[in-house]
Order: sequence, then C-alpha cells, then structure tokens
Amino acid sequence: MAEAPGRIAILLELVGDAVREILAHPLRSLLTLSGIVFGAASLVSMTSIAVGMQAMAYRDLESIGFPRSLRVRDQGPRGDATRAADLRHPGLRIADAEALGAMPGVASAMPNIWGTDQVIVGPAGRRIAPVEGVAAGYLTVRNNRVIAGRDLGPLDISNVSRVVVLGEAVVADLFGTAPPVGRTLTIGGTRFTVIGVVAEQVYEMAPIDNSWITRRMYVPWTWAQRYFREPGRIDQVLVTARPEADLGDVIRRAELLVRQRHGGAEDYRLINEAAEVRANLAMADQVLGGWNAVMYAISIITILVGGIGLFSVLLISVRERVREIGIMKALGADEGDIRRLFMTESLTLAVVGAVVGVAAGAGLIVLTKWIGTQFGRQFEIPLHWPGAVFAIGFAIAVGVLFGWYPARRAAGLDPVEAING
Amino acid sequence: MAALIEARGLTKTYRLGQVDVQALRGADVDVARGEFVAIIGPSGSGKSTLMHLLGCLDTPTAGRYVLDGEEVGGLHGKRLAAVRNRKVGFVFQTFNLMPRLSIEENVALPLKYRGGIARRERRARAVAGLEALGLGHRIGHRPEELSGGERQRVAIARALVGGPAILMADEPTGNLDSKAGAEVMRTFEALHAAGNTVILVTHDPNVAARAERTIEMADGRIVA
Ligand SMILES: Nc1ncnc2c1ncn2[C@@H]1O[C@H](COP(=O)(O)OP(=O)(O)OP(=O)(O)O)[C@@H](O)[C@H]1O
Ligand SMILES: [Mg+2]
Repeated sequence: MAEAPGRIAILLELVGDAVREILAHPLRSLLTLSGIVFGAASLVSMTSIAVGMQAMAYRDLESIGFPRSLRVRDQGPRGDATRAADLRHPGLRIADAEALGAMPGVASAMPNIWGTDQVIVGPAGRRIAPVEGVAAGYLTVRNNRVIAGRDLGPLDISNVSRVVVLGEAVVADLFGTAPPVGRTLTIGGTRFTVIGVVAEQVYEMAPIDNSWITRRMYVPWTWAQRYFREPGRIDQVLVTARPEADLGDVIRRAELLVRQRHGGAEDYRLINEAAEVRANLAMADQVLGGWNAVMYAISIITILVGGIGLFSVLLISVRERVREIGIMKALGADEGDIRRLFMTESLTLAVVGAVVGVAAGAGLIVLTKWIGTQFGRQFEIPLHWPGAVFAIGFAIAVGVLFGWYPARRAAGLDPVEAING
Repeated sequence: MAALIEARGLTKTYRLGQVDVQALRGADVDVARGEFVAIIGPSGSGKSTLMHLLGCLDTPTAGRYVLDGEEVGGLHGKRLAAVRNRKVGFVFQTFNLMPRLSIEENVALPLKYRGGIARRERRARAVAGLEALGLGHRIGHRPEELSGGERQRVAIARALVGGPAILMADEPTGNLDSKAGAEVMRTFEALHAAGNTVILVTHDPNVAARAERTIEMADGRIVA
C-alpha cells in the first residue's frame, strides 16, 4: 500500500474541501462573515487607536508635568499674621533654595521670580510684557524649544548678566522681521542683550495651551531678584530629584527640610508635581482602560452576533446537503467524518472572518493616521496585537461553539432517510 | 461455495406515529460468493428495506446477519460505517453522485472515508476504475455533463473502487431508458463474470431473467 498521508495533508484536504464549499456560496458566506469581520475590525482598530492615543497622552503628560519634581512656592507672610513664627520668617528665601540644592539625591533646585509686567522697548517698537526670572537651563528643562540663540547659562546667572531670552510672540513687536539674537532692548529702562528666542512645546493629545510662554521675557533670576524683590526673597524653587534617587524619599526629606527651616511658619506651599502627574496618568489609564473594556464588550457582542449568523447559515447548509450527507454515509463516512466536515467549515469561516477583520482594522488605523496628517497631526498608532490575537481566538471559540450543533446534527443523520429525503 | 451472506429472521419495523409498519417480517437470505441474485416483488413488498439491511445502510429491528464471516446485525455507528465502507458497494436507482465533484472525485469518495490513503493514490485508483468501465474519456467532467447510463456506470465504478465483498444495486436501471438500461446490465453481467458477487433489485422481468437466481418477495416476506 502507498504511504499514508500525514496530519498536515489531512488537515489541508479538510480545509480545502471547506473552502470549496464556502466558495460555492460566495454571497451567503460573505454575509455570514460580516458580523465576525466587523467585530474583529472594530476591536483591532479601536483598541489600537486607544492604546496609541494612550501612549501619546502619556508622553504629553510626562513632558508637561515633571514626574521627578517638587515645587516649593512662597506664600508670603500671612496678612493676618499674629503667630510669632509667621512674623519671624516671612516667605521663601534664596537660602532655602541653596539648602534644597545641597540635599543628597537632588539634581537641581532652581529659583524662580514671577514675571511682572514691564515696558519693553526694542528697535522696531514697544510693548508691555511679563518678565520672569529663571535659572540656567530652566526653559529647556521645562520642555520648551529654544528656536534661536541659546538658553540662559550658569555664567549669566552668577554674573547677573543683563541678557534676555524672548518669547517667540513678542519678537515681531520689538524687532520687526529682523533676527533679534545679539541685538538689544530695554526693560524698564535697563539695556539687555537678546541671547535667544523660545517657543512652546506643542502637545498631540493634551488639550493644553502653552502659548503664554511665548508672550514673556526670561532673564537671569539673580537679576530679577534684585530688581523685583526684597533682599533674599524668591517666589519658587523647583526641586528635581536625581534619576537614581528614590523620589518619595527625596520629597519627604525636602518637605522636612523646608519645614524645619521655616520653624513652623506657614509661608510656603508644597506642590508635589510627581503626584499630580501620577494622578493624571492614572486618570488617563482609567479613561482609556474603560474605553478598551467597552470596545472589547461591543466586539464580543458583534462577533457573537456573527456567530449566530454562522450558526444559521451552517444549519441551512446542513439542510441543503442532507442528501449529500446521506450519500457520504452510504459510502462509508462515519459520524466523525461528517462532524469534521462541518466543524472545518465553521472554523474556516470564523478564522477567515477574523483575519479579514484584523486586516480591515489595520486598514482603519492607516486611515485614521491619514486623516490625522490631513489635520497636521502625526498619530503614532501601532497595531494592538493583544486585540488582534483576542479577535482571532474569540472567533475560533465562536466557530467551535456555533459549529458544534449543526455538525452534530449533520453527523447524526440516518443514511437511508437522508438519501430518500 | 462459501456463504458470503447469511441472514436469519431479518425484521424491520418502522414506527409511523402510533402505528408500526412491518416492512420486513423475518427474512432468511443466503448468498454464496460469486453469485448473481435478483430480488423481485411488487412495490412495497420490502425489497429496498432488505437491501438496506444487507448493505449495512440500516440496522434490523431483529434478526442475525453475518456478512463475509463477520456478525454485523448488531453493529452501529462507526463500526457499521467501516463495514459499509469496506465490504459493500451500493448502487442506487437515482445514481446519487455529488453534483459539485468531478466524476473521478466521486469515484474516489469511498477511499477518502476509508482513511490513510493519499489523495494522489485515491485519484489514480478512481481513474483506473473509470477506465475499466469505459469511462476514461469522461474524466474531469461533472456528473451533469454525462448521460444517465454513464452516470450509473460512474456510480458502479464508485461502488467497486474500495474492493467490496459484494456489489448491491437497488433498481439500477429504473431511471434509465431501455438502451442505457441494457448497457448497465451488461456491465453487471461482465462484473459477475469477472468473479464479483452481485445482488440487485428489479421490477423488470428481462433484467431478472439474466440473474442466476431470483428471490421473490411479497408483503415483507421472502416467498420464493
Ligand atoms: N422510513 C420508512 N418509514 C415508514 N415506512 C417505511 C419506511 N421505509 C419503507 N417503509 C414502508 O415499508 C414497506 C416496504 O418498503 P420498501 O421501500 O422496502 O418496498 P420496495 O419493495 O422497495 O418497494 P418499491 O418497489 O416501490 O421500491 C412499505 O410499505 C413502505 O411504505
Ligand atoms: Mg424500493
């Protein structure tokens, strides 16, 4: 006897027969598949889009907020200060910033002087703009873009240099169309040299308008301190932990240090940016997790409805082929042969539906990206594989579940009755 | 000669609602290897019922049945299907070919259900079987493209492809004109001459006359 066919050959023949049967009724098969196709397509596209958006929102939130930062803000002496401690220690001081900066685990402690409106006079015109005192590298650290010249450096700070970084939006009023870097202007009558121009970060997902950044002027905080504030007073310190340091520990020690230095006075406020960022990320997680749960639920229902379509089409197919089934049995096909025939048909339909649906979902992702580019947005949406795997796996389960009864019914037919109708 | 079929008291009762229909009331049948037997009798006398039992397409309500040395009267399901596949070649009045399959695919079907035979081998044996019945020029065609006589000869090739112990036919010429019917009968005679055991049911006395022996039925019993 010739060599027996292997498992693969047997499987291929079963699938081949099923495909032949499916192609014999193209329209009916297409209608059967539609539910599963829609379910799989919506699952893959929507979870991919949700996960992609989530990743983008994450990146935005992480760059807007500062997951490794703590802000200590001056509250000033309370207006109704009567307690001795409040009277003795009025507000945040340079020495606080220095002490924070010297703490182990702290990368930087950057003093800030709040912007106050000043009259700015440039060669091409004048305007009123807030002037803010910042530390070296502060603008860059806060994720703004220095689009011309440079950011403020350590020497500018230590020399109390009269240099300024302009917000992008004030350039035209003061300098017209000429490039401003290297030229001069006056702030409240004092001459400054422009060393750079700063623009804001644009976020893909977060509905955040940072354009106010471009309407300000940034000078060394040392200069702003002398010009705007009483000796020793500052408005804020931005404390950033070293990457290797334990963030919670740094925050706890920083809080303790400031409390001790202020001897119980309530003239400062702590803003835990890290916790805010975490809360925002958690919220984004929750919103998108909820969205994904809804999409999974909708897709499961759609695929199940597709399964019911599959079920009824298989029953129709069994009824139509009663005579054929009878002939097969008369020729020696046993119940297993007939069951396999219909189960293979059911599974082939389900898997083809799911695969077509995943492909359609991938198409929808491409379409979404394309629409994004039409609006000048670059969406990064990688295919969400768990969604695709789930869609195909669930379709297989549906194929088994809804193929089982029709297959059993076909297998149980009596050959003589089936042939005679 | 050794007995191929030995059936005792075969009974088949159909239940129609509250009424029992006794299609077969205890038939004893013996067929020797190499015989050519015709079953005759009026309509409704139980010829088809008997053939279905002898062909293992159905199970008797009562009675013993030994086919080719194997007790098959009590077999069901998978095991009965296997006997049907290996020992019986059945030809129907209405051909019962699969309309969407080519004739060689039709002929190869019993080998497919036997399992363990590669597709190429099955096809080769089907083609050889068709050629032996003078249908080589029709290979690749669908049943609908063939004449009635040709279709019935395809069905005979299909019944023979698995090398059965017995060839059975229930009114094989019933749906054919006389010329095609005569051709089909010549095929059965040639197969018998070549050593095959043949049992067929017929209404046609001319057909019955060509058999070696006739079994006559009436009202669910064998009367002669
Ligand atoms: N599935 C069935 N259910 C109920 N009664 C049946 C069934 N099959 C056959 N019968 C009955 O059994 C009896 C014998 O039928 P059978 O088909 O064996 O006769 P037959 O001799 O082949 O007749 P014909 O020459 O018309 O083919 C008939 O009365 C028929 O009505
Ligand atoms: Mg009959």
